[in-house]
Amino acid sequence: MVSLLSSSVLLRRNPLILKLPPYLSFLCIVIGVAWLLVLPLDNYSRRTYISENALLPGQVHTYFAGSDQNVFRGYKREVDALEGSGNIEVNDKLEEFFKASGLKVARQSYEYKSAGETYAGENIYAILHAPRGDATEAIVLVGAWWNMEGKLNRSGVALILTLARYFKRWSLWSKDIIFLITADSKAGPQAWVDAYHDTHQSGMVDSLPLKSGALQGAVVIDYPFDHRFQDIHIVYDGINGQLPNLDLLNTVVSISGHMGIGTSLQQMWQHSDSYRDRLQTMLRGMLNQGLGHASGPHSSFIPYHVDAITLQPFGEGWQDEMAMGRVIESTFRSLNNLLEHLHQSFFFYLLMQADRFVSIGTYLPSAMLVAVNFTIMAIFLWVKSGSPNGESSNVSLTVEAGEKKTPLAIVKEGDAKALAPEATIAVRERELFLPLAVVAGSQFLGVLPLYIFNHTPEAMLHPIFTAFTSINGFFPLILSALLTHYFAPTAHHYTLIKTFSLLLLGLFLSSLATLNFSLAFLVGLLSAPLTYMQPLPNRPIVKGVLAVLLSALSPTTVLVAGCWWWELGIGRVLKEAAFGWDVWGMTTQVVVWCVWWPAWLVGMVLLFGNPREEKVKGAGNTIETVKT
Amino acid sequence: MRQFHSLLLCLSCLSFTLASSDYHEQLLLKPLHPSLLLASFNFQSNTTLASFEQQNFRYFPRSLGQILQHANTRELHLRFSLGRWDAESWGARPWGGAREGGTGVELWAWVEAETDEVADGRWLTLTNALSGLFCASLNFIDSTRTTRPIMSFQPSGDHKNSTFESLHLLHGTLPREVVCTENLTPFLKLLPCKGKAGISSLLDGHKLFDASWQSMSIDVRPICPLASNDCQLQITQTIDMVLDIQRSKRPRDNPIPRPVPNEELKCDTSKPYHTEDTCYPLDTAAREEEWTLSQIFGHPLKGACPLATDGIDPVCISVPHARQVFSSEGSHEHKDSSGFMRCYHLDSEKDFELVLPQQEISEKAPLEQPLLYAERSFIGYGQERGGVQAILTNPSLTEAVDFIYMESLPWFMKLYLHTLNAKINGLDTHQDVIQEMYYRPALDRKRGTQLEIRILIPANSTVVLTYDFEKAILRYTEYPPDANRGFDVAPAVITIGNVSIRTTSLLLPLPTPDFSMPYNVIILTSTVMALSFGFIFNLLVRRFVAVDEADQWDVRSVRLKVAALIKGKLKRFRKRVKMEKKE
Repeated sequence: MVSLLSSSVLLRRNPLILKLPPYLSFLCIVIGVAWLLVLPLDNYSRRTYISENALLPGQVHTYFAGSDQNVFRGYKREVDALEGSGNIEVNDKLEEFFKASGLKVARQSYEYKSAGETYAGENIYAILHAPRGDATEAIVLVGAWWNMEGKLNRSGVALILTLARYFKRWSLWSKDIIFLITADSKAGPQAWVDAYHDTHQSGMVDSLPLKSGALQGAVVIDYPFDHRFQDIHIVYDGINGQLPNLDLLNTVVSISGHMGIGTSLQQMWQHSDSYRDRLQTMLRGMLNQGLGHASGPHSSFIPYHVDAITLQPFGEGWQDEMAMGRVIESTFRSLNNLLEHLHQSFFFYLLMQADRFVSIGTYLPSAMLVAVNFTIMAIFLWVKSGSPNGESSNVSLTVEAGEKKTPLAIVKEGDAKALAPEATIAVRERELFLPLAVVAGSQFLGVLPLYIFNHTPEAMLHPIFTAFTSINGFFPLILSALLTHYFAPTAHHYTLIKTFSLLLLGLFLSSLATLNFSLAFLVGLLSAPLTYMQPLPNRPIVKGVLAVLLSALSPTTVLVAGCWWWELGIGRVLKEAAFGWDVWGMTTQVVVWCVWWPAWLVGMVLLFGNPREEKVKGAGNTIETVKT
Repeated sequence: MRQFHSLLLCLSCLSFTLASSDYHEQLLLKPLHPSLLLASFNFQSNTTLASFEQQNFRYFPRSLGQILQHANTRELHLRFSLGRWDAESWGARPWGGAREGGTGVELWAWVEAETDEVADGRWLTLTNALSGLFCASLNFIDSTRTTRPIMSFQPSGDHKNSTFESLHLLHGTLPREVVCTENLTPFLKLLPCKGKAGISSLLDGHKLFDASWQSMSIDVRPICPLASNDCQLQITQTIDMVLDIQRSKRPRDNPIPRPVPNEELKCDTSKPYHTEDTCYPLDTAAREEEWTLSQIFGHPLKGACPLATDGIDPVCISVPHARQVFSSEGSHEHKDSSGFMRCYHLDSEKDFELVLPQQEISEKAPLEQPLLYAERSFIGYGQERGGVQAILTNPSLTEAVDFIYMESLPWFMKLYLHTLNAKINGLDTHQDVIQEMYYRPALDRKRGTQLEIRILIPANSTVVLTYDFEKAILRYTEYPPDANRGFDVAPAVITIGNVSIRTTSLLLPLPTPDFSMPYNVIILTSTVMALSFGFIFNLLVRRFVAVDEADQWDVRSVRLKVAALIKGKLKRFRKRVKMEKKE
């Protein structure tokens, strides 16, 4: 105990230890990134498997064929004829179809306002009562009238109508089946699922006149063309990076495999099972998860713990609509088998192809390491900031020498006592007010862009963003100048500012990593240079280079670069983000503006900082040590 | 359902006239929209109370009778139900809802006992005995599932004033119990004709449990004519089911609903795109389905039950008189004056068959409007708290409806009574919607919440009743198998005079531990223990010395050591040789 205590006290001044942290934190970043890169290898990822035995995917014969195809073609003609009709007109007709199949039909209208625009529409849904069931559980088959790309979901809706008629004939359903046709893919499903759980804003979104039991799963069909298809593309990302249970995805993959239909993920239309393709699939998945937006109508269900996926047929092949119908039939038979809510398999995973994944235990360390790099640096700087002025050179002498030269002090902890050089125990008084005020101030400033971008009408979004970006360019310079002018912070102050900023960043990112791994990893990686920012008053060239580098990694620049790369309008992206905030309850903006941006701002302020000479001798020591 | 009441009245009239034991049975068929058939079986037998007490059973089932005597039960109501009654399309419930229970099993009885404790003991005896008799998990109706309703249930029999004081009403439900064939067999065994003849010969597990809705009930009650001492004990057994005609008509060896051949597909030929491979399906609801008794039930009715008292026609069908109905030879048809009911008198020797051909007919037997529509569902989400919403609609345009709403909730659903709120037509009003309330809070692991509310809904209004609750965290062993399914919450019981309505049951998801976790924990702790054991063991058995004290192992030292060893051996050997020489 004694030896442990004294050694910890002595360790604090060990010159080797004091030099280590910057390298250690750099190592953390490198290992974090390398960790992610090895995940697609066979040894680090696993093949998917069905965890819930009750699902029995593909174990049933499917009978959706034959004359039902004639019925499908009939409904298809009806749906085609409705193209160009208004929402209400379409729903009148759909209601007629569902009623003729003997189902209970209800409608729900909604109206959302976001970025100065109104999103209104009417959802229609029909409930097939389980023949011997008791309205305790339900599964949902969803088709949006307009899909995410704004195309008419013609075959999808016709397929739902045909399946509704077909499912009605079976008596084996143990759960109610809800056939939901939403007016659009973004607002409609959200309005419906909110109202189903009674969490909707009354006045804007109607309550549901007809309800069933607890939702056990939802499958969305997005089939906007009328030719044959080759494979099925499965979309699974939920809002804020939440994912459906892996069993649901595995079920569909396994069923389509049985039927000779391939599956693909994350718009990887070709997948050669190579390292490169696996990595690309994984990174696309991470990007989607990190953005936290709705990738299909299913996304709105996932926050309510309703596992949901979207199935999109693609390509030109020989699979017809009935094959798609049989996949749905078999999936519903599997879900119907469930005795319990889907809980067996993983909720946190990264997929690298349809049948390969890594689970949270394997991938989490990479984001954690990136986040920990900030914390290590923060703790190091805190210890550093407490070291007495001018003593650092003495301290760097060996401990044995210290025993002779420096006066000894007794360290007590409980009953234990230890002798240690006085200098190592002496702590310099830290001036906390200014650093805390700067860091807290910049955190609060983050609320400003958050509010502005979520409450600006669409037309103003682009100009305001341009204005914000240009202000953002020289704002840190002004802030730094103001700081120097009014408060004249010393190097000690700058160290503490950096300490608090990094501490907060590390704290936020490591907690975020457990909720939305990808977002935490991406933000952590983009703000990694912040670990090494410090005032460089005497080296203008290095400062200039670093300033350019840091500006290139600012949230606004990254947004612009992303828009340019994917050829999206900035106004559109911001509008989507505001819509996500207002309707979906998306929280990516909070992370960007209240975690990433303040840290970046502090980093820039540090870079432009001009520390005042301290009156106490050896003021430069702290800076020197920081430089290491 | 007026017909039902009239029939019931007729049956009870008969029972008054016949003082001794008797038995009658009746089947009422009623087509419902769309292509469904409601079949109500009613079996009723009487015995005098005197012969019952002397254990002289004739039509009254001995097995049940002895249980009732042993448990001092004066009146018994047992229900087995499955599915959901669709009041919007099917109208009011058969028997005014009096012969049905909530999903699963429901039991209530009036037990004669001096004190509450004795009553509880007898109730335990009763549930355990019935559990064995009906192959149902009735023994799981423990104190947490038992309530003593104050306002909702009234005895339907005539009890003497002297005994009435000591009667205890106990009520229990098992919403998770799945009713199936094993419950039907003992049920049929209680009947005098035991499913061999009479209308009970139609009852077949395959058809009964394929029904969209079905309910089996047993009611035992004493009937005492006023100012008379010759009381009778009456047992009424009913089975009501709603069968899907199309589904029932499928042959038993091929029940899979395969797509029909193209030529049998009924298409709307008026559509412009109608071709051989494109078909807009016709709405078949407009036409009357064709069916026969043997198609629906799998076999024809095997003659009348010879034990049944003459005078009551065993089979009745409620269709307009204009509908064509053919019956087999030897039966006699009686049409009644209302225009929608006809009954058949059967021959006890011959099989009876009923044939309804396909017919285009606009006239339909009128549906009776239910007094109240009730729907109950959960609101909110998450593992911590939730809410319940009951939507109660009075469809009558002129009359207010006054009823009692009873909830018996499990103890782990902790109700916040202050959040109980009744909105009328979407508005918070201070009108007296809630007239009276009885509330008995839950005790953890001992008893559930009991809530009875008397509500008055004005004509043509909807009341939305909501309340919030908190979910308790259960102990590890208190979870049932398949814990992630959730917990079933018993249906609410709504009593409007003689009419009763049950809402559907609910599935309550509770925070559920990961049950594989204990094994992970065991593995982890074992690893930690193994590591620490190894560490400590290592410390204990090794001797630690400073580097300079330790033996050095280089070539020279090894050589010296080996030499010393050999020297030592040699010395010992020499000594031994010397000693031997001395000897």
